[in-house]
Amino acid sequence: MADPMRIRAQLKDGGVTEVRVLMAHIMETGQRKDGSGKIVPAHHIQNVTATWNGKTVLTAQFGPAVSQNPVMNFSFKGGAKGDKVSVSWSDNKGDKRTDEATIS
Amino acid sequence: MSRSVDLRTLRRRALASATAALMAAGMAAHADAPAMLGKLGRAATPAEVKAWNIDVRADFKGLPPGSGSVARGQEVWEARCENCHGTFGESNEVFFPMVGGTTAADIKSGHVAGLLDPNAPARTTLMKLAQLSTLWDYINRAMPWNQPKSLATDDVYAVTAYILNLGNIVPADFVLSDKNMAEVQGRLPNRNGMTREHGMWDVNGKPDVQGSACMNQCASAVAITSRLPEYARNAHGDIALQNRMIGGVRGAETALPAPSTFVALAARQAPPASGVAPAQSEGLKLAQSHACLACHGIGNKIVGPALLDIHKKYAAQPKADAVRLLIVRIKSGGTGLWGNTPMPAQDHVPDVEVRTLADWIATGKFQ
Repeated sequence: MADPMRIRAQLKDGGVTEVRVLMAHIMETGQRKDGSGKIVPAHHIQNVTATWNGKTVLTAQFGPAVSQNPVMNFSFKGGAKGDKVSVSWSDNKGDKRTDEATIS
Repeated sequence: MSRSVDLRTLRRRALASATAALMAAGMAAHADAPAMLGKLGRAATPAEVKAWNIDVRADFKGLPPGSGSVARGQEVWEARCENCHGTFGESNEVFFPMVGGTTAADIKSGHVAGLLDPNAPARTTLMKLAQLSTLWDYINRAMPWNQPKSLATDDVYAVTAYILNLGNIVPADFVLSDKNMAEVQGRLPNRNGMTREHGMWDVNGKPDVQGSACMNQCASAVAITSRLPEYARNAHGDIALQNRMIGGVRGAETALPAPSTFVALAARQAPPASGVAPAQSEGLKLAQSHACLACHGIGNKIVGPALLDIHKKYAAQPKADAVRLLIVRIKSGGTGLWGNTPMPAQDHVPDVEVRTLADWIATGKFQ
């Protein structure tokens, strides 16, 4: 089981909700070799989805070029204080993780 | 340093540093130097000692009472720290990341395994930190970078708690205080990772510096064995202008040649008699008092771009436009125009003063 994400969702001026997410993931590219010369198998996030009150506000496809423990910022219009923002990812080994934050 | 400071010790140190300053100023060691130095300085007042003596020792001696929660720390972090360190302490742009690279197993063992891993991408603050007092003391005395010592004691506890929470060292509802610092010290990932048994350089496995105190056969006379050559004096721009404008210590004015005598040095450092001082523009005074010059040299790039370069960039457009743009840049900070290093928002500076500064930069007469 992967470590929990850290999510901050804040209502800014003009009704825009800014969301910042830190995903804890090793993001192994599949091109790196270990000490004995063997290739370290790829292990990275593939799909990211963010929903606000059940409605999808962002989808993204991640690949091996994204860094370890990626940080992602995005914003959307219409959020209100107390609403839930939920972010999920799934990786190429079938691991999944969903975390939720309240807009403040 | 313990809190009970012997005033005589302090005075002796002040004299020692004055001696060092004179040596650095290029003065030969005169025979009459001690007599001259005897007239220098005065005993520090208890209030001065109190303001100076803020350090926290590894055994937490010197830690002022107070407490702060992780939640409060998050508020302070987002207002004061996030700009440079990132929301989650992860930013690698201005400084190395604060958080990351530690595991639950590290917290158990007290040794950070990632420090030995050649593939670890970076060494973060929490990976290296062996003593919690260091983190607390550093935030207390030096952060935020543009307004050191401006955080309340409770907020220093709160920010420390927030950083520890980011590293999963304390839970999200934790309240850090002077009472439980020692307990949290026992959870630091690298608490057992510090050794004193190593050298600055590799000297066949033996330390080249033995940290044992030497309290006898101290040298009684100072012999100068090397000095900075005259041509190298100004190699890094005017050091005096690059110091942060806090406390009483400034660098030497390296734009001027070294004073040859003690009298010349004293005359330069004495406050100018009224009416004789060259007129300083309002802009320069503000730039000094708000520590703009800590990051922006007038003619040279430091952390941020040189003021002269900024002036040139905005010189093409009408001055009113330039002033308007500069006001926005100063007030809200930003990154990208001059590189990746962000400038923190300076919204604590009053509007009138921001306008004066913007006008000063747009005018380009930096005196």
